[in-house]
Amino acid sequence: MLSSTLVENSRRDFLKLAAAGVGTTSLSGWMPILANTAASASVQAKRKPKNVILLYMDGGPSHKDTWDLKPGTKDAGEFKEIQTAAPGIKVSEHLPKLAALMNDGVIVRGMSTPEGAHARAKYNMHTGYREGQGGLTYPSLGSIVACELGKSDAAMPNFVSIGARSYGSGFLGPKYQPLLVTDPTRGVEDISATVSAGQLDNRLGLLGEMEKAFQGEYKAGVINDHKTTYERAVKLMHSKEAKAFDISLEPTSSASKYGTGRFGEGCLMARRLIEVGVPFVEVVLGGWDTHQDNWTRVKANSQQVDAAESALITDLKERGLLDNTLIVWMGDFGRTPHINTRSAKPGRDHYPKAWSATMWGGGIKGGRVIGKTDSEGATVLEGKTNAMDFLATVCDVIGIDHTKQNEAASGRPIRIVDKPQPFSKQII
Amino acid sequence: MRLKRCVMLAVFTAGLVLLATSPGWSAEKLPSPDQLRKEVKQLRQAGKEKDEILKILTTKYKGLDLKGLAALGGKDKGGKSAAPEIVTKPLTFAAPARTAKPAREIARLIDTHIEKTLKDAKLTASPLCSDDEFVRRAYLDITGVIPTADQARTFFDSKEPNKRATLIDQLLASPNFGRHMADLWQAKLYPKDSTNRFLLKQPFVDWMAESFNKNMPWDQFVTNILAGSGTVGENPAVTFILANQAVDKLTDHVGNHFLNIQLQCAQCHNHPFIKDWKQEDYWGVAAFFSKVQADKPRNANKGGDNSLIGVVDSNTRNKSKDFFPEATKDVAPKYFKSETAAIAPTEALRPVLTKWMTSPSNPFFAKAMVNRTWAQLFGPGFVNPIEDMHDDNPASHPELFLAMAEEFGHTGYDLKNLFRSICNSQTYQRTSKPNDLNKDDSDFFSHQTVKVMTPEQLYDSLNLLSAPEGKVNKGKAQDQPKKGANGPRDQFVNFFLAGAEEPSTTEFEMGIPQALKLMNSRAVTAGKVLQDVSKSADPAMVIEKIYLSTLSRRPTTSESKRLADYVAKNGTNPTTFGDILWAVLNSSEFTMVR
Repeated sequence: MLSSTLVENSRRDFLKLAAAGVGTTSLSGWMPILANTAASASVQAKRKPKNVILLYMDGGPSHKDTWDLKPGTKDAGEFKEIQTAAPGIKVSEHLPKLAALMNDGVIVRGMSTPEGAHARAKYNMHTGYREGQGGLTYPSLGSIVACELGKSDAAMPNFVSIGARSYGSGFLGPKYQPLLVTDPTRGVEDISATVSAGQLDNRLGLLGEMEKAFQGEYKAGVINDHKTTYERAVKLMHSKEAKAFDISLEPTSSASKYGTGRFGEGCLMARRLIEVGVPFVEVVLGGWDTHQDNWTRVKANSQQVDAAESALITDLKERGLLDNTLIVWMGDFGRTPHINTRSAKPGRDHYPKAWSATMWGGGIKGGRVIGKTDSEGATVLEGKTNAMDFLATVCDVIGIDHTKQNEAASGRPIRIVDKPQPFSKQII
Repeated sequence: MRLKRCVMLAVFTAGLVLLATSPGWSAEKLPSPDQLRKEVKQLRQAGKEKDEILKILTTKYKGLDLKGLAALGGKDKGGKSAAPEIVTKPLTFAAPARTAKPAREIARLIDTHIEKTLKDAKLTASPLCSDDEFVRRAYLDITGVIPTADQARTFFDSKEPNKRATLIDQLLASPNFGRHMADLWQAKLYPKDSTNRFLLKQPFVDWMAESFNKNMPWDQFVTNILAGSGTVGENPAVTFILANQAVDKLTDHVGNHFLNIQLQCAQCHNHPFIKDWKQEDYWGVAAFFSKVQADKPRNANKGGDNSLIGVVDSNTRNKSKDFFPEATKDVAPKYFKSETAAIAPTEALRPVLTKWMTSPSNPFFAKAMVNRTWAQLFGPGFVNPIEDMHDDNPASHPELFLAMAEEFGHTGYDLKNLFRSICNSQTYQRTSKPNDLNKDDSDFFSHQTVKVMTPEQLYDSLNLLSAPEGKVNKGKAQDQPKKGANGPRDQFVNFFLAGAEEPSTTEFEMGIPQALKLMNSRAVTAGKVLQDVSKSADPAMVIEKIYLSTLSRRPTTSESKRLADYVAKNGTNPTTFGDILWAVLNSSEFTMVR
């Protein structure tokens, strides 16, 4: 879901307040950190901007059956552990290719978040905030990256979301909304003209004349905005970069590495988009809400992730792009250490108190684990990381200064949350 | 499980017995308590659920009071309630305090005030708009859809001296007025979130459209929404409560939508800048909702019937865990900036709130709707942001604003009269073309504003163009497949909303995907317009038809010449005319309201 369930002071009103000098053009401290994070600040000075691929696991992937297995314990489940390329790190047997690439990645086993309902958890993980906080709808990470790192005159959109509706730009406004691709095999809807290039030119010529006349008489800002949007759309249609959306152009030998299914196709498209300079791509894989039949479904999903993500990492590496692309793997929350036997096919239920996320590439020091859970995977013993901490770390890695704050108090008080504690120092 | 059902049955039957023996029931029509008990038991054994039993019995015995029954037979607390039962009375409304000025007088009042402020600001107003500007603007502002070519032509050709006033009356009487208003309000009152995915929307939208069309006074409309009881099937207005099942959401709606104040900041602390709103104010209002009992929507995929869920007042605090946010403050119900409510033990709380809200002494209620209506017709309101009225955010025209609010109250909150008053003013009918002297003015209404069409207006206008001649697809019944899925109109609207909760008419918010859709989608057609164009068609006539159908005007001389040249160059054929139509549909003039 895109919007908060609370009535908000709309972004337009927010911007009006800003324009009236009450607020600021910065991101209103969307990641509020109090001033004394000198360590973070110095870290950021060195990082050049990086692109992001967010692999979002919709439904809440079971941590005990993917990245944080507890073999030999009572509710360990059906999967075995395998050794990864990084000494001392073991993962599920159904992630072998990623295991081999472990030195490029980091497992965050100390994730601990407050939301156990899907919609609220998704909002929390995408924005760092909890739904309803401050009465505003906060922008998701993709919109923040589009705003901070995107180029406003680029032909390609700065935030693409593949496979499902994503969290949007909140108070940042429509300019930073994601471009949605629901079916990767069909690319961007309506990106191709229905007429020949020549005829399209004729049409655009007519349109241009009409616009000039209309603006000449009415002189309204909205008419200008219309012009800008259309110009960008046409630029996209004509750009060679737009071919990145057409995955049929990928040689089969290369495409087949990503595995079958929409997620694999989405990851392939994500790589192509990164190659043409799109700063943020989100690819969603659903089906993780395994209250029932946990192991069959987690295995199937793991196989998709293993094929697609390892292909992504390898391809980016080959093209010299991995150091400049951070791949984030995360979901709504984890799943219960305890196995429920309510139905014939046992499963695990929602569990945000302790779970795992991973990061790959982006020049991070891979082959390590951040945080640790107890023997059951039920509580975090070290390295507790909430959504804000996690996203602040992502910002540190990709070169966004999340300490940016309001210059003046805005007209809307925004509840200050706990000082985020990014773990960036451990990985960069 | 079994025990629970027995207990439920006992309470349920006890309730029936209570009502059967209460005064007001005619003994000859209704069964004895014993007989009732027997019938309930039989129906239960036949596997009927509570709602079906209610339905069967109320059909069989006319006069069986449903409202009291709905509150019973729910979660049993041991059968004994400490507080007295609420007596749900029908909502009543006071008649207007005095006769109000007629619309044309209010229109003159508006013009007098506006002209004076323009003079003081040394601004020259733009002239009145042309007939073609007026017809399209009036149709869109009042009925949410462009006029057909015939309707536009008829208006231009009419020689009636008061044709603009007549058109305004006709448009206010059109069923599309209610539909358009319902579109605007459903976006505000019915949040599109996952908890509402099974909650029926269409009955609510239909009820709103009907209410606007029959010109239900605004205080009654708001009272019905905030204080209504019954099931969705009986009283669709309850959908509002069902869609917002938390005291903070309800209080925020009260503030933002009906009083135009930003009360929500005071939920957690006194507002640091706006001294008007304190925490006790917020929770005092929230308290009026604390004893609402609302059913949760049922899973339609499992056959749940959501026309049977409902809302009722009780004397016990709502027990649903989501109904009260963290850090709820429990205070006595209280109007803010005013005294504590005096409430009798068996009196329902919500009507007390709505009575205060809608009383003539409430400084916000009338002003809120006047501000909102003004903004609907002009773009900016008297107070901006529209929903942020407070002492430090004064109105641009305080005297006029107050006068209009008072008149609105005097008419008994007659909404159509408010529209009529504003639309008949010269201020409303000015052109949106600025002149050199007033082009920077956005506060004094020296010229009208170019507004942006809402997604609903855009869909309905495009739909009009692709419908067969004479038939307007209302996009209602056929667009509403079962099980809460979105029909074509909803899908289009969601796509063009691009993530916003409601559309803006003062900012152009289409992004690249929306532009691509209008340019390249085969679904966006205007099939009717070029339907009968033959090879021998006179290009000038075809072009005129295109313009009248889409922009509600004839092309200017220079446009005609330019397009004639285009046709001469590219040939008199469907492709050429298709190009011209494409350009017009993608132009800002089409998607804007000038």
